[in-house]
Amino acid sequence: MHEMALMGDILNVIHEDAGKKGISKIQKVELIVGDVSNALPDALHMAFEIFKEQNKVFFEDSAALVIHREEAKAECVVCGKEYIPDQKLAFCPVCRMPSGKIISGETFQILSYEGRQ
Amino acid sequence: MKVTLRTDVLTNNNKAAEYNRELFENTNTLVINLMSSPGAGKTTLLEETVRGLSDKYRIAVIEGDLATDRDADRIRALGAKAVQINTHGGCHLDARMVAATLPEFDLDETDILFIENVGNLVCPSGYDLGQKHKVVVLSVPEGNDKIPKYPTMFMRTELVLLNKIDLLPYLDFNVEEAIGDLQGINPESKMIQLSARTKEGLDTWFTWIEGALAACKPQ
Ligand SMILES: Nc1nc2c(ncn2[C@@H]2O[C@H](COP(=O)(O)OP(=O)(O)OP(=O)(O)O)[C@@H](O)[C@H]2O)c(=O)[nH]1
Ligand SMILES: [Mg+2]
Ligand SMILES: [Zn+2]
Repeated sequence: MHEMALMGDILNVIHEDAGKKGISKIQKVELIVGDVSNALPDALHMAFEIFKEQNKVFFEDSAALVIHREEAKAECVVCGKEYIPDQKLAFCPVCRMPSGKIISGETFQILSYEGRQ
Repeated sequence: MKVTLRTDVLTNNNKAAEYNRELFENTNTLVINLMSSPGAGKTTLLEETVRGLSDKYRIAVIEGDLATDRDADRIRALGAKAVQINTHGGCHLDARMVAATLPEFDLDETDILFIENVGNLVCPSGYDLGQKHKVVVLSVPEGNDKIPKYPTMFMRTELVLLNKIDLLPYLDFNVEEAIGDLQGINPESKMIQLSARTKEGLDTWFTWIEGALAACKPQ
């Protein structure tokens, strides 16, 4: 559970960027969180609310966190089949071999933020 | 006003990791990030590794724990350089914490630097520390379900040290099943079975380390 620290990092990046653009109130933050990124959306929402509560100058009361999930996907390097990995995530459902590589779901990005002067 | 960033959340960590990596490469230091759940035997293995290899190589250790200097003290007792990082509740080491300790080491005079991460099978796997190799210790009392339950760790490591095999006769741990599960998550990962207690299998681990050392030596 390091979502508090992660949210702190996220808000630092936004704070710095907003400062350069003369934005002083944040209205919305959008993240992309992959299913195998290790970050938990619920815990991120909780952390966001805590930071918002503590930084009333920087956040609009109605400020919201929007999380876009990125589904985990794997692709077989042998037959090219794309599949949703289960527990044996490298196992291609067609070849029945451990020939799959994760091609999506590891992303953990700050997509955008919205704010006003 | 909407601002699109598309910035990796771990950007700052990754920058620090690159800084560390460059320093390790310039000073020719082999760096291994050792991860596991609490109590799998990381420190015991490092003690045995220092005992077994320090007449041939100059070994240093960074110990990551929530609190106390106990693990660093265990390594220092063997005469090796060790620096403790206390994360004060933090569940993993990050690259900035590691960077902050590096001035305490003489990396030009160090052949191998081990980083013992905080005992945790989830968070440490996501943080690049600038290491050359990521190794995970799995001990047999933890049970067979750990590889499938913590795929993000086992898909990002290149070697599993299966520790405490001296206890296999008393437990229901199935080694064949663990090998199959690892294949299913990360077919490139190797596994070495060993016991830090009886020292069985330690020679295979030492051979692996020497192979890694040979691979990172300049021509
Ligand atoms: N039977 C047996 N016990 C072991 C072995 N290796 C370690 N232990 C014991 O396991 C316990 C935990 O070992 P540590 O080396 O402290 O484990 P750790 O992974 O460093 O623990 P944390 O730093 O707290 O995460 C100790 O009591 C060790 O003596 C082994 O191969 N066999
Ligand atoms: Mg330890
Ligand atoms: Zn296939």
